[in-house]
Amino acid sequence: MVDFNSQISIMVKSMLNLETLWKLSKFTPNEQQRDAILYVDGPLCITAGPGSGRTRVLLCRTLNLIVFHGVKPEEIFLSTFTEKAAHQLKEGLRGLLDYATNINGQPYDLSKMYIGTVHSLCRRILNDRRKFLQDFHVSPTPNLMDELSQYFHVSRTKTWRKLVSVLNLDEDTDPHLIINSIFGVQKMSKHSAVTNCIAFFNRCSEECIDPLEAISMLKASDDEFDTYLQSNSLEKDALVQAFSLYNAYRESLIQSEKLRNTDFSLLQQDAYRVLLEGEDTGNVFKHVIIDEYQDTNTIQEKIFFQLAKGHKHICVVGDDDQALYRFRGATVENFVDFPSRCQKYLKTEPKRISLSTNYRSRKKIVDFYTNFMTYANWRRNSGDGGFYRFMDKDIHANKPDDGISIVASTPSSPANVCSEIAQLVKDLIDQGKVEDPNQIAFLYPSLKATHVETMRNALERLGLRVYAPRAGRFLEVDESYDVFGVFALIFGLPEIQGGWGGDYGEFGDWLRQTEINAKQLLKEDPALKQFVADKRAEIETACSDSQALMRVADRENWSLTEPYDLRQMKRKVYSAPGLSETGRKLLGSAYLDRTVERRATEGRPFPLDYILKRVTSLDWSVLDLFYRLTGFTHFKAMFDLAQSGEDEGPICNLSLITQYLARFVDEFLPVLTADLLVEGVFHKVFYFSFLFSIYRLGESEYEDAEDPFPKGRIPFLTVHQSKGLEFPVVVLGNPRRRLHPAGFIEKAIFPFCENENSEPLSRQAEFDSMRMFYVALSRAQNLMIVAHYKGRGQSTNEPFKTLLDDSFPRIPELDLVTVPSFSSKENDLPKMYSYTADYLTYKKCPRQYMIFRKYGFVPSRAQTMFFGSLIHRTLEDLHHEIIRRREEVSNGS
Amino acid sequence: MEANWKDNEIQDFIRQAYQQNFDLLRLESGISLTPEVKRAGLLQVLFYWQKMRDVALNVSETEVRLSLPQQESPKEREFGIEGVVDIVREGGKTIIYDIKTHDGDYVRSHIDQYEDQLNVYAHIWKELQKQPLDGTAVICTDFPDDVKEALTSGNEAQLERALDRWDPLIEIAFDRRKVKDTIHSFGEVVDQIEDREFEPRSVEELRGSYTDRSNVSFGTHVCRNCDARFSCAAYRVYVRHGRGRADQIFENYYNDLEVGEPLEEWRTTGLDSVGDVEGMI
Repeated sequence: MVDFNSQISIMVKSMLNLETLWKLSKFTPNEQQRDAILYVDGPLCITAGPGSGRTRVLLCRTLNLIVFHGVKPEEIFLSTFTEKAAHQLKEGLRGLLDYATNINGQPYDLSKMYIGTVHSLCRRILNDRRKFLQDFHVSPTPNLMDELSQYFHVSRTKTWRKLVSVLNLDEDTDPHLIINSIFGVQKMSKHSAVTNCIAFFNRCSEECIDPLEAISMLKASDDEFDTYLQSNSLEKDALVQAFSLYNAYRESLIQSEKLRNTDFSLLQQDAYRVLLEGEDTGNVFKHVIIDEYQDTNTIQEKIFFQLAKGHKHICVVGDDDQALYRFRGATVENFVDFPSRCQKYLKTEPKRISLSTNYRSRKKIVDFYTNFMTYANWRRNSGDGGFYRFMDKDIHANKPDDGISIVASTPSSPANVCSEIAQLVKDLIDQGKVEDPNQIAFLYPSLKATHVETMRNALERLGLRVYAPRAGRFLEVDESYDVFGVFALIFGLPEIQGGWGGDYGEFGDWLRQTEINAKQLLKEDPALKQFVADKRAEIETACSDSQALMRVADRENWSLTEPYDLRQMKRKVYSAPGLSETGRKLLGSAYLDRTVERRATEGRPFPLDYILKRVTSLDWSVLDLFYRLTGFTHFKAMFDLAQSGEDEGPICNLSLITQYLARFVDEFLPVLTADLLVEGVFHKVFYFSFLFSIYRLGESEYEDAEDPFPKGRIPFLTVHQSKGLEFPVVVLGNPRRRLHPAGFIEKAIFPFCENENSEPLSRQAEFDSMRMFYVALSRAQNLMIVAHYKGRGQSTNEPFKTLLDDSFPRIPELDLVTVPSFSSKENDLPKMYSYTADYLTYKKCPRQYMIFRKYGFVPSRAQTMFFGSLIHRTLEDLHHEIIRRREEVSNGS
Repeated sequence: MEANWKDNEIQDFIRQAYQQNFDLLRLESGISLTPEVKRAGLLQVLFYWQKMRDVALNVSETEVRLSLPQQESPKEREFGIEGVVDIVREGGKTIIYDIKTHDGDYVRSHIDQYEDQLNVYAHIWKELQKQPLDGTAVICTDFPDDVKEALTSGNEAQLERALDRWDPLIEIAFDRRKVKDTIHSFGEVVDQIEDREFEPRSVEELRGSYTDRSNVSFGTHVCRNCDARFSCAAYRVYVRHGRGRADQIFENYYNDLEVGEPLEEWRTTGLDSVGDVEGMI
């Protein structure tokens, strides 16, 4: 009998095959790449060296699954390290699938494919009630706090007191000092105590440590355990305290039976629980694909293997030599030990493929960093041998060009080294070896080192401009000074008992400086001055109204909690002596009367207190206030600069300010009422709970997702920031990193982790340092420059010390003629534009498009967008339900 | 089969899904809706079920993404167009529906715009993907003024009559000649976006009316709801040519927040969502 379907599929395949698609997407895979793309049965472990075409392979492999193996997009789970990487993969996949559709007429819908970071996919699992059959009423989706919200949550008095109380401290001891000392830090700062706690909590969550179990293990500890504690100079009491804090934190997340908060680390545990409790969750996805596997952690490994339990098609891609995120809980062992983990979880061996041809860098660069890694001893201590690294990768360059492509500076003092490098950089730019200064990157282990400033000055002396997004705090950009300065003039600065010392010292200086800057702005713009005066007057009126109304309540002996009685109370409060016109208007509003009556008939009448707050509330939120400021010359000019295309810097920073202010409106005070302004509560919340947190967390300046580095500027980055990027020219600005022994957190959790074949604590610092430099050295395409410092107070780490010997090429020996000129290739993925969100929005108003769609400003009253999505999602749900019921009927009959 | 579509069951389903989506979106976006707006949204979906039941019951694919890759703009940029529609196949006929939360009046006064959009979708479906197509239509879920009035008055009979008169479905004719022009115009917009042409609409356009049937201007309907208006050169001119003394205008210009009920509703929502203030410190 002839199978019709297979006939059809053979016919289609003859018209459409992978080769056609490769040709269309201008890609010719090498042998290993081809193997990786075509291997689709069972577990697969791909080690992908730097610049070895990992993304292409992932794309084509997924394409192969969908088009030629009939795997539906919604049967694929693909996890990436960043949202940006997920976005690029998805766009690339869409492009390739569109080609396929045009040949075989078969449409592919990627919207149901699970593609994103682990965190976003975990969130999706929790929300996906269709796939994972959860009863939403039994287990409501928890509210996710991001890093900033988590900090807000822990540091607010209510939570913090709860945490401190479990330590049973004497009243006269300083809790911040005690908590910091648990983590081995001698500081009085609350901020430091909060961040130490959060770091510890997150690590515990990622390792799935149950705090109560840990405490009882500690209390029942045996000799072996005690020896571990002693040899790592850990106090048992400190550990018990740390886990008690963690336990109290977890309890603080539960607000009620139905309302629960979660953080990025616990979110993964939540998702894992759904997978364990659900039926057949190991068969939901036919293929589980994980990119950057070297940077995954323990809980993520559990999730991935649970998802792959049924079909066993798990494909992991990564490079153990580029593992960078131990401090966030990543365990490179997940990857290096993947073969035996597969045995453990799936009872089968993975196939191993090594993508070893480097298409990025010139040969000498590849040779250098490959050789670099052999200078550490990666052999395991344990009896069965083996290594803490994949040793058989055979990384080699594709480019045959054997000219000098890695040089070191002449060994000298920082001042000399920096000027020598700065001059070389200027020559490279002047001679057209790069198209723009932003193609030369300076990489540092940390941007706080003094060498960074020296280098920056050397470049600036030659007229070159630098862009260093992680070197400063976001609130220290000019636009933040301007906006928050005007806010300070309108609301007034907070008073603080005992002055601005300790934790608040620098923050206080910053606040006062914003005020000074803003006063200057007011001098230059009388209209702005008038505006500030008007807003102050509005606040004063609201405050005096509030007091006038309180006097009436006092006089009448009303309790603030008693229900507001329209007949008895309205007339009396309305004629309160000194009540302003505005206050009267608000009290007399017909809308208010209607609402009051409705609430009374519903049996939940407004208390008097509510009415007093309501009629003395301001018309605007802090975000509204921001948008009003943008009408004044100084701020309007920033929009004009972006509109004319001269400079995008200021508008990007303003956009970020709207995102922060929107968080204040959402998470703190959507409406400003006079009682909060009179009693200084607003100031405490706005300046200390909100702005101070942002100040201390020092988040970065805006980074544009598509083109991260502004044209005309030389980027200064941490090695971590450079992960996944490549540059024609790279300068390693500091080949030295102090090796810190394992800290309290690593030591404290070690005995409670599963620790299968894990790297010993004593070796971790060295391994991490090797890997970090490996990442830095493998970013360069045409030229790699290493700063070599020598002299008093200068030293160089091994293996640089040995490698940068007398025969190593130095800057004076480099003939610039031999350095190829870089020209950027056309972006190979064409952009998709949405008919409604791009085309129609632009046609409605190009400027509105620019501000909200291109630069991502948060609108102050964004009901329309929310409303549209709400209706569309509900209609989609309705349609799905109807389709489901229809299928039920047809299956039944 | 009818047994599977008990009206009250579906209505319950809608209410439940609406509330769940509301909760999720609120968590995702941090934005909320005033109770009035939230109620109106639910009614839009319930009325959709009431008025468009035949369409809803026959939806065969929902949220289908259509894409038109490999286009070239006048300035030779490669780009693609994408959109999302619902597909209904019934009795051998296939129809593409685009559901909009706009009101019918607006759609009818800008019918060209909707024709262009659906013609591009039809082109992708029919000519690129070679799938059969018998028609395209827009469904407007925002109900017309007489339904709103009937809802406010609470008069059941009046509501029934108003609902009967209302036709949310607007059929769009397929005209392949226009597709080329639309794609060309789309390409021009792509060039304008990439070339960073972000001038606001002209003052004349701001003064022009928003729909054919009403005398509300674009400036009032669109700009008044746009936070970018304060820094917008066109809107400044538009506002300053009003009546009254210059300084008075200036003052009003910076104070032109919502007034009346929308402002009161904003207060209600805001005060409802203020949490425990002491706990924030």
